[in-house]
Amino acid sequence: MFKAIFSTLGRFRLFIQIVMLLLTVYGSNVVGFYMAEKVSNALPALSCAYDQQNGGYCVLIPTQHVLHHRIGEALVKAEQVTAQIVLPLVFTLITFFTFFFVLGKVFCGWVCPLGTIQELINKLGRRLNFPLRRFENGNVSRVRLVKWLMLIVLVLALPLLTGMGVTPHSLGNPYCDICPSRIATTLLTGSTEQMALRTGDGITFALGAIANTLVGFMLVAALAVRQPFCRICPMLSFNATFQRLSPMRLVKKQHDKCDKCGVCAKACPMDIHEIAREHGAKAYHEDCTLCGRCVEFCPDDGVIQMKWGPVTLFKSSREYYKQRMKGEMPDGTLKAVATSRKPAVESENA
Amino acid sequence: MQRSINLILSATLTLACASAMAEGRPAEGRPAGAPAAAEAIHQHDHHDHALGQIMAPDGKPAAAAVQGKWQGREWTKYPLLTPMMGRVGDRAAATLAVKNLQPAVLEVFAAEGPADRLRRQFPVVPEGTPIEAVTPKIGNYHWVSAREEAEGKVTVASTAYFFGNPGVAPTKLLLQQKSELEIIPQPLPREHGAWRESEKWRFMVRFNGQPLANQTVKMETEFGTRTAFVSDEKGMATVLFPRDFKSAEQNERGGRHGGPRKAKFVLAAERDDGGKHYLTAFNYTYSPDSERDKSLLAGVGFGVFGMLLATPLLRRKKSENNHSAKEA
Repeated sequence: MFKAIFSTLGRFRLFIQIVMLLLTVYGSNVVGFYMAEKVSNALPALSCAYDQQNGGYCVLIPTQHVLHHRIGEALVKAEQVTAQIVLPLVFTLITFFTFFFVLGKVFCGWVCPLGTIQELINKLGRRLNFPLRRFENGNVSRVRLVKWLMLIVLVLALPLLTGMGVTPHSLGNPYCDICPSRIATTLLTGSTEQMALRTGDGITFALGAIANTLVGFMLVAALAVRQPFCRICPMLSFNATFQRLSPMRLVKKQHDKCDKCGVCAKACPMDIHEIAREHGAKAYHEDCTLCGRCVEFCPDDGVIQMKWGPVTLFKSSREYYKQRMKGEMPDGTLKAVATSRKPAVESENA
Repeated sequence: MQRSINLILSATLTLACASAMAEGRPAEGRPAGAPAAAEAIHQHDHHDHALGQIMAPDGKPAAAAVQGKWQGREWTKYPLLTPMMGRVGDRAAATLAVKNLQPAVLEVFAAEGPADRLRRQFPVVPEGTPIEAVTPKIGNYHWVSAREEAEGKVTVASTAYFFGNPGVAPTKLLLQQKSELEIIPQPLPREHGAWRESEKWRFMVRFNGQPLANQTVKMETEFGTRTAFVSDEKGMATVLFPRDFKSAEQNERGGRHGGPRKAKFVLAAERDDGGKHYLTAFNYTYSPDSERDKSLLAGVGFGVFGMLLATPLLRRKKSENNHSAKEA
């Protein structure tokens, strides 16, 4: 029955993604209106607190808020540093980790609403025959650095400096101010409130302008680039920090054919070229979102696996690979679209 | 091709910046959370004025000319419980001022905590009555009320106070009966949310725990708006928050973090029963329309700018076409 409905892992993931998109964007109708009723205030996915209909909050907002709001209070009452800063931050991290322990970076590849939106747009791009832009070995490492900068500067440093009174209040939660999920998910609820830019204060206006530029860029770029924002998302670096602490992981065995094959790297929406070359712990890269596409498109039995502790949840197999390749290329291009492309016309290159 | 793209980019940026600077004035009539269609905006403005519900005390429509004249004055005759500036860093304590009422104590109701602390009384102090959360670690909304009974008249003032620590949602707390005649928000704004001008929110009116149909609920705001609403058969009064902020006052009254500014309002209901006259008032704050001092045009402009930046990625070179076709 299950296999009849979800013939591939990709189809099952898409179903989960759609359900999670509905829950994270419109979930207050199910879980409740008040913050205390949300699934959690520390979800490892970009479930935006600015969305008035959402079902849960992303962990990045309480992290910024604790640093922004509580540090000043605690400085006033220095003896309460533990109670005011350490404990709330620890509780936020514990709540986050409770979710993260169970599902790990599955939150990125299966739950995050912004990830789903980008993936759906890219599917549209494949269908409309837009070119697929990939990050090659050389330049992908430069892009990977950005997500760490986003985490350190926007989620941690600026809120902390603002809480200490060094930087202005308008830099209190700078990541949320530039987060495309804030705009994309609120637009999905029919509200243009977050799309509009606040005009009174230069910093706020600038942050809003960056956010809107980023969301516009992301929406169009996703037609040609897989998961454009995920690559620089601080949630990915946040999750990557803890990825070895969750039993949910990607496992790859060494195999002679891997050097010549490379299909798994083509299937990876995050352009992790290491997945084809490496094995063991190195194959589970910091950029991996545990989407499982490399497992689906590995043509050899049991070489790549998704595991939770000792339990194998899904593993590569030749039979599954053949079935998967019937409908879709590893890079996401639909077979029907790929075979219908017309030959090039030289004059258009001029 | 590249030149034309550059031209479009420059034009979009210039437009966005120009519109942002030009739109320092407040946006008109956008109810937050409502559909963004221009028609809806127009209808809402029309509703505010054409129905004649929102009137200044002098009988004229509540317009910018009369806004702010109430600030710093007694703006209502109804009883109020209003938060006063407290100590920075104390998340479990607050100080409330009592106006237009002389109760002996303030009663604080909590949604969770030790049973003997769920309903506590704090003696009223003229310079400001200190109240506390149910415990130092439990926060979220608490309900505060004050009661005065004299000469056959029972007067109750109520408000909600949000203590900035985690705590259960106030759904059950709101429905718990706390006095004879009650006005109960359904719901309260969630944390970091607010009741905003031009929005409609529901308030339940009850008497002895039973919903009151056709009960008039009067509304008065700090900016001078006077209006009234009538509860439906389920005791629900749908309150339209008046659009009576004005930009200059918002700037003067800038919030602590430059966030939403707030103005006070009170809802009041009166009823005679069993030889007694009951008056209940619920006061809280509301905020300006979320799109005041914002520019949607600038937002859209920068969004389009981002889209244009990404457009070159969509151009397919013919060499790529060949390559893809071979792969297929």
